[in-house]
Amino acid sequence: MLLVVAHSRPARRDLRNVCRAHEDCVVRQFGRAALLSWTEFAAFQALRLYEKHGIDVQLERVVPFEPADAPDDVRAAARAYEDRDAPSTPYARFASGRDLPAPDEMRGTDL
Amino acid sequence: MRLTVRGTTYEGRAVDLRGLGVDGATLAAAVRGDCCLPAVAPTAPSSVYDYCGHVHPEMGLRTRTALAAAGRSHGYETPHDDAIADRRERLASLDPDEPSLPPARDRVPQSTLADLRETAATERGRLTAREALDGDTDAAEQAVREATRTLSERETERAAAEESRRRRRELARAYRDRMAERRRLADALANRRRDARECLVDRLRDRYAAALDAVPGPAPTDPFEAPPVTAALAVLRVARTEAPVVLETARFPDPATAADTLDAPIIRC
Repeated sequence: MLLVVAHSRPARRDLRNVCRAHEDCVVRQFGRAALLSWTEFAAFQALRLYEKHGIDVQLERVVPFEPADAPDDVRAAARAYEDRDAPSTPYARFASGRDLPAPDEMRGTDL
Repeated sequence: MRLTVRGTTYEGRAVDLRGLGVDGATLAAAVRGDCCLPAVAPTAPSSVYDYCGHVHPEMGLRTRTALAAAGRSHGYETPHDDAIADRRERLASLDPDEPSLPPARDRVPQSTLADLRETAATERGRLTAREALDGDTDAAEQAVREATRTLSERETERAAAEESRRRRRELARAYRDRMAERRRLADALANRRRDARECLVDRLRDRYAAALDAVPGPAPTDPFEAPPVTAALAVLRVARTEAPVVLETARFPDPATAADTLDAPIIRC
């Protein structure tokens, strides 16, 4: 999918107008951003916005992300932490002493 | 005050230009130093003249802002001033200009590189076979060189395109971060200025109310609901006014009375 983020008021207005006029290529619209379908027509609309507003329009390619795309230990960590007894325990404390990855370890590792 | 209009120089605390058809707005701009003619001295560094420097029946007035400016004309400070200066400085240090991005280049597709690698390998294979047969290797060597060169050129091209792509994204992201920070600072600055204005207004509230009673014009129950001309006159009476005020209103019987009431040099036109 295409992610279009508008960083100025005029760009935001035009993004809203594009989404309203071409609902067929809009997967989801948020306040100042929209997910468009991975089609040439959506790219055409996104590029129109980029031509008009330049750097105030941010374009990103978005790919689906499933739990299976993350390493096992990260998934196990998320599962265990959401299942914790004391809701106020920060993750760093929760992880230490258990066989779970430390936050900094995960921060420093690309997915 | 010293004022030169159409070759005539006027001096004194109250100058009457009625009947000469001099434009009040132009005079007020000259007092603020926004234009050099007519020549007038002293000019006004104080921002109170931005709001009340030209008093005329069609004027509007943001009374609180003008009263705060009157406070500044006395050199009053507020506990918010350091924060205001700090935010203003930080705001000025954030470059608002769009960066110029390096041109976007078409990427050499991975598949093209794979093809070229294969070609180079094939040519090398041919050369080895030739050497094994003790045949003439010139053409084969040439082909290997050619294939290797093309491959390395396209690889360099691809790396350059990747680099320019990365650079474009970095620059754009930094610019957007900067803009977001500017918006945050501008909001904070506006809030602090509002706080400072309220401080100054609180400090001058009583003096302003008393000044309203002293200047000619209707006295409303809420001092901040006074009509613009009346409010402007009261603000001027409160403010420190060393530069001339341009009056285009018949509230006072004569310019000298206006100068006494407002404690300011007056140009009546």
